[in-house]
Amino acid sequence: MDALVAKYSRPAAEESDPFENELESHDLMNPADHLSLKFAMPPVAQPSSWLRAATDDRSNPECPIKIAHGTTTLAFRFQGGIIVATDSRATAGDWIASQTVKKVIEINSVLLGTMAGGAADCQYWLAWLGMQCRLHELRHKRRISVAAASKILANLVYSYKGMGLSMGTMCAGVTAEEGPALYYVDSDGTRLAGNLFCVGSGQTFAYGVLDAEYKYELSNEAALELGRRSILAAAHRDAYSGGYINLYHIEEKGWTRHGFSDTNPIFWKTKLEKGEFSNVTSELE
Amino acid sequence: MSRRYDSRTTIFSPEGRLYQVEYALEAISHAGTAIGILAKDGIVLAAERKVTSKLLEQDTSAEKLYILNDNMICAVAGMTADANILINYARQAAQRYLLTYNEDIPCEQLVRRLCDLKQGYTQHGGLRPFGVSFIYAGWDPRRQFQLYLSNPSGNYGGWKATSAGANNASAQSLLKQDYKEDCTLDEACDMAVKVLSKTMDSTKLSSEKIEFATVGQTDDGKIYHKLWSAEAIDELLEKNDLAKKEESEDK
Amino acid sequence: MEVLLGISGKDFVLIAASKAAMRGATILKASDDKTRELNKNTLMAYSGEAGDTVQFAEYIQRNAQLYSMRNETELSPPALANFVRGELASSLRSRKPYQVNLLLGGVDKDTGKPSLFWLDYLAALAEVPYAAHGYAQYYCLSILDKHHQRDISLERGIELLNLCADELKRRLPIDFKGLTVKAITADGVKDIPYDDDKIVKSA
Repeated sequence: MDALVAKYSRPAAEESDPFENELESHDLMNPADHLSLKFAMPPVAQPSSWLRAATDDRSNPECPIKIAHGTTTLAFRFQGGIIVATDSRATAGDWIASQTVKKVIEINSVLLGTMAGGAADCQYWLAWLGMQCRLHELRHKRRISVAAASKILANLVYSYKGMGLSMGTMCAGVTAEEGPALYYVDSDGTRLAGNLFCVGSGQTFAYGVLDAEYKYELSNEAALELGRRSILAAAHRDAYSGGYINLYHIEEKGWTRHGFSDTNPIFWKTKLEKGEFSNVTSELE
Repeated sequence: MSRRYDSRTTIFSPEGRLYQVEYALEAISHAGTAIGILAKDGIVLAAERKVTSKLLEQDTSAEKLYILNDNMICAVAGMTADANILINYARQAAQRYLLTYNEDIPCEQLVRRLCDLKQGYTQHGGLRPFGVSFIYAGWDPRRQFQLYLSNPSGNYGGWKATSAGANNASAQSLLKQDYKEDCTLDEACDMAVKVLSKTMDSTKLSSEKIEFATVGQTDDGKIYHKLWSAEAIDELLEKNDLAKKEESEDK
Repeated sequence: MEVLLGISGKDFVLIAASKAAMRGATILKASDDKTRELNKNTLMAYSGEAGDTVQFAEYIQRNAQLYSMRNETELSPPALANFVRGELASSLRSRKPYQVNLLLGGVDKDTGKPSLFWLDYLAALAEVPYAAHGYAQYYCLSILDKHHQRDISLERGIELLNLCADELKRRLPIDFKGLTVKAITADGVKDIPYDDDKIVKSA
């Protein structure tokens, strides 16, 4: 009993090695845990600074590993549920690594996560979060709340704080007890509930469009359009965002997908039909 | 029958008893009596000294009364060697609490810490329980003056007046008879020596045979505790007409 | 540019914390509550490294609650402050210290005595009549030096807080999105309405 209390009453700072703890301490409760969570660490004194030296291409363009970065993602709560929208570009340094990345991660039929920062970190840990959510369902015979799911993720990334994880993610879902719920979680360990978040290198451009026209009372159609238009704005101005617009709508019955659509025709349609983007000329003088 | 179970501290007998714990209680019932009485303005602890000899250095060490921290003392009935371990543990626990919270540990918490340790020895294998009962006297700001009794099983309880050790049943009934709510500390001291004089084998007492300690409050509200000097004890005995006569001492 | 302010008086402690949650050049949330109730009459406000703040505050909060459950009494504000200091001090010498600055205010349930404590991430602890963290120190401490007295009423405390908040709005270069204001009295912690939309212009 005391050993149990001691285990939970120790501050995170005193935990010697999250990699070891993860495996040992959960063995009894989750026999499935040995399937994951065991990482080899680089054999250096400070893994995080070593990782930074090897991957930070802003301070060292010659760095050997270029991590996929650069994104625009957004999500907002409104009367009809939650809209989640992302672009689809992955860049590694100055180079576009992919134009068809799925940055909305389907944790389960009612929970979505978004991906900004290290693509691998987000994919891995959101998939892991999906596993935890399913285990929660099996153990408690009810769906996990968005608050609890996001806190599991926040606590996890916090246990790796300073070791080089790079994630800026949103957990969104609609549950009976919470209604539409949206949480921002990043690799610093920050976790915030809110109505509206934009994350990634293009966040400022998306915020600009979204903040101006956002209202909680938005209709479903208007909300979807606003999400799409905000991503378009970022895809247009941010060099590290672009590709396709990935759009989701979450309701209590679950999420529905509203396309994975190329930004280019949408851009021209927006410009030519609505007269926006007037700085872009469509004809040669 | 019982032989099969009584060598292990951790095994229940078929009748549902823990023999080692009962033996420990038995050992204590042969030790010198200790009593504690709660008064409205303080607490008195008194204990019978078993080892008396002219050769024994009297004032170097209290045998049965110990200071735990600035606002708590205790009386021991049972094996002094076991008590030393527990008292050391209690003193450390009290100081650790003071270090963590910059406040004195509440009395009941300290009692419970000791009792948790005692309980452990009735459950974990291969070890003998502590052969000690304690009577604790203390003060804390939330519950003022408090008196507790704990035994080798790890049980404890709060009391207005209580006793442990040899003849504790008769001491207990005397206390029950004589105890008055709202008595003063001085009255409680008188009562303590009277009870001791009746439960101890010799009717006439001396400072060699008993130890005395009180917890009280000074006029300016400060809590003090003191272990009484031989002179102070003799004075109290004199006042209650229980002192050993000079001539009998020579025999 | 996080703002933490604390003012104590005759029978209360007021604690105020800025509402903005900033990351880089973006305000992610304008209604963040940077305080946690440790028990019925003790409140702690925090600022500092993202992630560390909430983790540390909740760790303390849960330990305070565990103590209450085990011992059927609550820790007094000074005992809690000392406990928090101890945790910060051991964290400071660990592999990954918590970088959290704190104000802890409370009213003793038995004596009714209010107390306010200032703690920084280096585990310094001081009991003070009024306190601030961050840039707020540079503006507000002088105001409070002049206007604060030990036996002030809650109403006067709120007036002083508004005096400080107005100055911060006037002179801090970054908008901190208003303040969450809470008062701790013998009855517990209660929210104090604060007008975030008030515009303060420099003379």
